[in-house]
Amino acid sequence: MAIRNLSPCSSSGTINLSPSVPHYGTPFSTKSVNFSSRDNSCRWVSHILSEFRSRKLIQLKSSNGHPLNAVSFKDDLPGSPIAKEHTMPQVEGSLPIAESVREQPTLSITIVGASGDLAKKKIFPALFALFYEDCLPENFTVFGYARTEMTDEQLRNMISETLTCRIDKRENCDEKMKEFLKRCFYQSGQYNSEEDFSELNRKLKEKEAGRLPNRLFYLSIPPNIFVDVVRCASLKASSKVGWTRVIVEKPFGRDSDSSRELTRCLKQYLHEDQIFRIDHYLGKELVENLSVLRFSNLVFEPLWSRNFIRNVQLIFSEDFGTEGRGGYFDSYGIIRDIMQNHLLQILALFAMETPVSLDAEDIRNEKVKVLRSMRPLQLEDVIVGQYKGHNKGAKSYPSYTDDPSVAKDSLTPTFAAAALFVNNARWDGVPFLMKAGKALHTKRGEIRVQFRHVPGNLYKTNFGTDLDKATNELVIRVQPDEALFLKINNKVPGLGMRLDRSDLNLLYKARYPREIPDAYERLLLDAIEGERRLFIRSDELDAAWALFTPLLKDLEQRKIAPELYPYGSRGPVGAHYLAAKYNVRWGDLSAEDS
Amino acid sequence: MDARSFAVSYSSPYSPSSAFRNGHHHPLVVNVSSLSNCKILSRHLTQICPSLEVVRMQDVATKHNAVDKESPVENLKDGLFSATSSHERSDGLCFDYRKDESTVSITVVGASGDLAKKKIFPALFALFYEDCLPKHFTVYGYARSKMTNAELRNMVSKTLTCRIDKRENCSEKMEQFLNRCFYHSGQYDSLDNFMELDTKIKEHEAGRISNRLFYLSIPPNIFIDAVRCASLSASSTNGWTRVIVEKPFGRDSESSAALTRGLKKYLNEDQIFRIDHYLGKELVENLSVLRFSNLVFEPLWSRQYIRNVQLIFSEDFGTEGRGGYFDNYGIIRDIMQNHLLQILALFAMETPVSCDAEDIRNEKVKVLRSMRPLQLENLVVGQYKSHTKGGITYPGYTDDMTVPKDSLTPTFAAAALFIDNARWDGVPFLMKAGKALHTRRAEIRVQFRHVPGNLYNRNIGTDLDQATNELVIKIQPDEAIYLKINNKVPGLGMRLDRSTLNLHYAARYSKEIPDAYERLLLDAIDGERRLFIRSDELDAAWALFTPLLKELEEKKIIPEYYPYGSRGPVGAHYLAARYNVRWGDLGLEQ
Repeated sequence: MAIRNLSPCSSSGTINLSPSVPHYGTPFSTKSVNFSSRDNSCRWVSHILSEFRSRKLIQLKSSNGHPLNAVSFKDDLPGSPIAKEHTMPQVEGSLPIAESVREQPTLSITIVGASGDLAKKKIFPALFALFYEDCLPENFTVFGYARTEMTDEQLRNMISETLTCRIDKRENCDEKMKEFLKRCFYQSGQYNSEEDFSELNRKLKEKEAGRLPNRLFYLSIPPNIFVDVVRCASLKASSKVGWTRVIVEKPFGRDSDSSRELTRCLKQYLHEDQIFRIDHYLGKELVENLSVLRFSNLVFEPLWSRNFIRNVQLIFSEDFGTEGRGGYFDSYGIIRDIMQNHLLQILALFAMETPVSLDAEDIRNEKVKVLRSMRPLQLEDVIVGQYKGHNKGAKSYPSYTDDPSVAKDSLTPTFAAAALFVNNARWDGVPFLMKAGKALHTKRGEIRVQFRHVPGNLYKTNFGTDLDKATNELVIRVQPDEALFLKINNKVPGLGMRLDRSDLNLLYKARYPREIPDAYERLLLDAIEGERRLFIRSDELDAAWALFTPLLKDLEQRKIAPELYPYGSRGPVGAHYLAAKYNVRWGDLSAEDS
Repeated sequence: MDARSFAVSYSSPYSPSSAFRNGHHHPLVVNVSSLSNCKILSRHLTQICPSLEVVRMQDVATKHNAVDKESPVENLKDGLFSATSSHERSDGLCFDYRKDESTVSITVVGASGDLAKKKIFPALFALFYEDCLPKHFTVYGYARSKMTNAELRNMVSKTLTCRIDKRENCSEKMEQFLNRCFYHSGQYDSLDNFMELDTKIKEHEAGRISNRLFYLSIPPNIFIDAVRCASLSASSTNGWTRVIVEKPFGRDSESSAALTRGLKKYLNEDQIFRIDHYLGKELVENLSVLRFSNLVFEPLWSRQYIRNVQLIFSEDFGTEGRGGYFDNYGIIRDIMQNHLLQILALFAMETPVSCDAEDIRNEKVKVLRSMRPLQLENLVVGQYKSHTKGGITYPGYTDDMTVPKDSLTPTFAAAALFIDNARWDGVPFLMKAGKALHTRRAEIRVQFRHVPGNLYNRNIGTDLDQATNELVIKIQPDEAIYLKINNKVPGLGMRLDRSTLNLHYAARYSKEIPDAYERLLLDAIDGERRLFIRSDELDAAWALFTPLLKELEEKKIIPEYYPYGSRGPVGAHYLAARYNVRWGDLGLEQ
């Protein structure tokens, strides 16, 4: 059962009551339901019903902090070191409102690796945006944690450079920024030092001032210190009464074994429902919209199967290379960096059966089923490429191996295309083509769905010999310039009967004047609210690695040399041959490419 | 040659008319007419289109009618010949009739009338301007008024315009066109006058194969007279003779049948081109393309997914002092029984065997014959009354001088129709047509069912039907196709709204869209009958509406009054509500 919440802020809008709720008794759960369905939104509340604000927020928090959607995990790891989420808040949630008011919750967000790039470019700005939109709880503090010695002031200085207000509403921007910065603090320390985390804990407590503490740790650090930080944070700085959640950034290992090892280590200190593996692609507006499109419109679902869909293409391209920062990339490569996570996640979301509800567990269950139905990836269904130097005009673009941080003889693919198959009743035989590359001619992320040709087409004579060229295509452009369009055959107006392909289209920019929030905003808010729909569960991750690991091993063991392609080109031609093998034509590289 | 022998000459085994009568076609004719797009030929398209097929088609269009003069073998040979020599067609002309041999004479009977001035002559000029008329053609105006050729040209020239998107040589072209226009005055029932016309036409034909097209732009009471005279005195002896007839085609089953009988005394079925200019509208033509050339629509095209279909026509003006004709017919006969019903048939038909005229019309007739008889309770009629808005007073219908004060003629009607076949059983087809409404528009709206077991039900509120998909085909003005979909409003949170996937013609296609009359005239010249109404179609259409119309008149049903410029009588909403439909054009978001 899921309660839809029309809140503009509550990104999930879903308060989950997982299927195991009945264990805890109906009266209690119904009460929570009532709360959550009433406390519509932080923003609504603050703008329209400001007098009720704090109270409403508490309700929201109490139902959020409440592990309703976590109970299903309770049986997994009983008595784990920090199972706080299960004990206190549960009592909390079932208490009458008056009780919660006394224990006002507070939220502390600690960004571990605060001096890093991601923190500066994405995390702090996203937090500020949430604050600006009144989507953060009333009591919150942001802590930066890193090894660098820095004062609070210096941190604020650093952050303030990357904060921006939404273009569409700039009122009180400076004021709001100041307010936000006042809530930011810094703690320097080693990533593996329990004492330093104790010190952090002390500071956190000070700010929490006796309120119900909820703590969110954002690990924006290299993977080799993940476990150290999780250990220290969990042992020394986790919340004793509220919840403690940890957001982990990719890479989640580099193959099945290392990923499983990482998960095992995390689970020593954290519960499954405390781990929020972020895949920021899942936070993209149009990826979110994919399910809406499919499940809330009658016109798409009937077409969503092998009966009508000829192939699906998942395309990601960047128009720049590693640009001197290839150190991390070189040991992972494009398949691990983009395909195994972002594109595969989109594929799973695209291909899944209708979930029982929009509940996180229901959706993730369906995604895992897709991943587990997939045919093992064969080497011959993969093309790898690597960009080489290229002179265009007066400018010369470096090759991948020109990057000083990359080994001269590196075989790491910067481009890959793969054909995947989902061997289930819905998708048997439908090729899912993935393509991801760096240093290509354009920057884009899109999903293309090519439909079959019309059987017994009355207008065949108007199409020429290749009927496949005149098929319908649904394009979901994830970035840039978010758009949806459906290519249809249409009569060119005028005398005569000439057909062309026109688009039924929806350009977001034209339809929705509001700026689209960054994926990180949505995901951070979801983590704060305990909405797990867009985070990757351990079994999902396992299944994703199980699909790619044999192939990756094969590639590395055989030292497959990537096909070289010029910087700024359309990628290696091998991708076309791969597509041709399955009677597919890349939709993004055709003459009428939009 | 009298009418009888004229008909007989057509029944040679190779003539299309006999094929038609026997219910099967000469194979070559079938092939050709299914490719039938002479129009593809218009200048800038010549390179792109498969000219081979086009040329074959052209030949048949000629052959069609020239059969009795030539042996079939010659025809065939000729067809092959032009097919192979199609590459030589570098002149870019629309027509490749055996150049100097055939000629088309277009006689506009009722040349001084409004329709002729506003639509027919301009459409002919546009076709000429686009090089779509054959090399040898002449245009005759025929009417009772005394007029010289110069006077006619003067009159015609006032309404000619060049396409906005290419104005080069406009005045030059106009002059050339006007030079081909002639006038002949005469009575509509005088064989002698038509004989004179025939002489004039012959003069210009100068011995070439003569093809003749008569456009009857005259009141219905003189249709038969004009047809008789034209057919007996002025029909072609060696080419084809076709007659375009404008509505009204009778006012009920009997009068329509009588008219058809009258026409058939002098004409063969395949010589009669009953025009319904709505069928020539770009988006009505596109309806079949949309449906049959896209995989994504046809699976949805049935009762399983479609909840209702709405066919909406509205004008934002009344009869404005010219209600004489209208008062005798009313909106149901004027708009519903023909335009809207034709669109409905086209919309609802099963997939035809081919795009051939007879195949399509066969399917349309099937739809019409499957329709449930219209009941009085499924109809709402209205009449506009005067209304004062911002100092301006708009007249009521009965304020019109040409309308009787006690007229009960509906100027508005809404009806719920049903097709009792496997595809459409239970799906209401709602029609609405009215004059003096708040807006001018014609559109088709397809409302889909709600999503069963919708995961997002909670985001939609209590009325699931408000969040259904809707396909809107806007016929006029501002041609567009859009599909309303539920979409997530971008931003944090999960709020859904209805957005549109749309195709706005003005934005996508820079070319001006030709007037419906251009297309239809060209089709008539080509002998393409797809967009014209066959006698049995007309019969079926009248059979559906006649009992209802009789009942309305016998019971003297008083129309619901609505103010000039309003959204029409509220009765239309109750009619819709009865079938659980909400008019798509009157919602908040259209």
